[in-house]
Amino acid sequence: MRLRLADVTVRYGSRNAVREVNATINGGKVVVLLGPNASGKTTLLRTIAGLQIPSSGLVELDGANITKLKPHDRASRLAWVPSVAEVSSSFSLRRVVELGRYALGPSRQRVEDALAKVDLLNRSETLWYEASAGMRQRTAIARALAQRTPGGMLVLDEPTSALDLRHLRMVGDLLRQCASEGDIVVAAVHNIPFALDIGDEVLVLREGQLVLAGATGAVLTPGSLGDVFGVDLAWAADDAGNRHLVQP
Amino acid sequence: MKTKSIILLIFLAMLLLAAAVFRLLITRDVDGSLLFELPLDKYFIYRLVPMSAALIVGSALGVSGMGLQVLLRNPLASPWILGLSSGAGLGVMATMYAEHTFEASFFGGQSLGAVVGALFSLFLVFSLSRRRGGIDPMTMVLVGVVISVLCGAGIMIFQHLVPMGLRGSFSTWLMGSLPEVESWLRLGILGLLVLIGIFLIALWGPTLDAACLSDDEAKSVGVDLAKIRRRLFLTSSMLAAIGVILAGPIAFVGLIAPHGARLLMRCSHRTLTIATALVGALLLLVADDIRQLIDFGTGRLPIGIVTSIIGGLVFLILLLRGRGRV
Repeated sequence: MRLRLADVTVRYGSRNAVREVNATINGGKVVVLLGPNASGKTTLLRTIAGLQIPSSGLVELDGANITKLKPHDRASRLAWVPSVAEVSSSFSLRRVVELGRYALGPSRQRVEDALAKVDLLNRSETLWYEASAGMRQRTAIARALAQRTPGGMLVLDEPTSALDLRHLRMVGDLLRQCASEGDIVVAAVHNIPFALDIGDEVLVLREGQLVLAGATGAVLTPGSLGDVFGVDLAWAADDAGNRHLVQP
Repeated sequence: MKTKSIILLIFLAMLLLAAAVFRLLITRDVDGSLLFELPLDKYFIYRLVPMSAALIVGSALGVSGMGLQVLLRNPLASPWILGLSSGAGLGVMATMYAEHTFEASFFGGQSLGAVVGALFSLFLVFSLSRRRGGIDPMTMVLVGVVISVLCGAGIMIFQHLVPMGLRGSFSTWLMGSLPEVESWLRLGILGLLVLIGIFLIALWGPTLDAACLSDDEAKSVGVDLAKIRRRLFLTSSMLAAIGVILAGPIAFVGLIAPHGARLLMRCSHRTLTIATALVGALLLLVADDIRQLIDFGTGRLPIGIVTSIIGGLVFLILLLRGRGRV
């Protein structure tokens, strides 16, 4: 699978939320999207997922214009996880995960597997409105996993913002596993160590423009990130000799 | 369908049957005392017609309300909030006024007036709620409330324009009432349309389930949101218009019936549609039974008053319990 962004621009009124973004992403990679608040990350992700029609430019998935795909076809190629999932019905978490199979046909096994992968199998009958923010976030990820076709695309907007350390690690491993099965994984994150941990490549946005792109280790340096986020950063080594970005 | 859901549906159907039998048996003697007996053959039709109308109107309003609540992701949505019922009401009032002014009967009469009024409201709400090629649920609620208020003002204008003598029949209609005299052909056609509407919404049940996700999530799992919203809006409007044609403005059934069904069973919208139709019909039949029991010496209460009292109290309880979720 191959994702191509060609001069993608998204305007809200007179404001450019995303400006002339060009990128090509191949299957088997985890691409992290970084940037300050309101830099256009969510807009770009929604455009990649075919949920936002670009004002100009093109998003192609294996040569097909993503906005022209039929709903069923799009659902079979990509799955989306929002930053805050919403369900306006008193469904159980299991029922929400089952909705991931809406267009692709029911699969009890896929739903069970997805619930198990996000550690919700024993809590699956909890009602949505009784679930914590972290449980809801894991449910949304499980829904995407139940929907996902291996070798397709996963698009996630801040999928770990409500997760504790154990589940953060769990989701990181899941995303890496999906990429190892050939998926394109694109995820917006704010957690830089997490981005360094899971990302093969990184796209950095500032004021809607792509200002940095490339291999994670090469691009995410104290200098480049400090410049984008407007803070001082430095490397620090732990006892085992691993490098970490810290604010001095 | 789960066994528990099937048992609950059978239970609801049996309650409905009991309420219907009760409606056929209960009557008042000329001295005002209550009687429980089958009427003479020539009077039987005056109980069978309102009972049939209650079944049709109750199920139509209930399923219409459920469709609108899913459509708008708003547990308070109902044909009233979207201005459909008041649009139909305005159409009926305009027809009554015209028939009085020109001393003539028009083709289709008040039924046609109700349909035209509902469709006009539908058109206004639908076209004014469009944003970026889709329908924005919040805008739709706001536009619906405005249309409802404007139609309400129109109804009051017609009430003001007619002579004092006719205001009574206008007021009675506005309070909602089940017909005691109605052609079986008309009842049959409207009943068939309601059955078709309920069948269609039940058929779309899985899509309604997925449409309960946020817009982006629903689209990403493969829901054609614009299409299901168009379908739901049209079908729910048709059901609401049929309710107004047969019984005038009946409040709260469209709001309460879906919540009642959800309290009874947690299930997909396919099963919920059937449960809502049964609860809606049951609500209206019970309200009709209750009004037979009440005698203030001034004739039976219009059913709209009974549904408003029952519905208002139930709704208040739901709100206080925090159970008013879709």
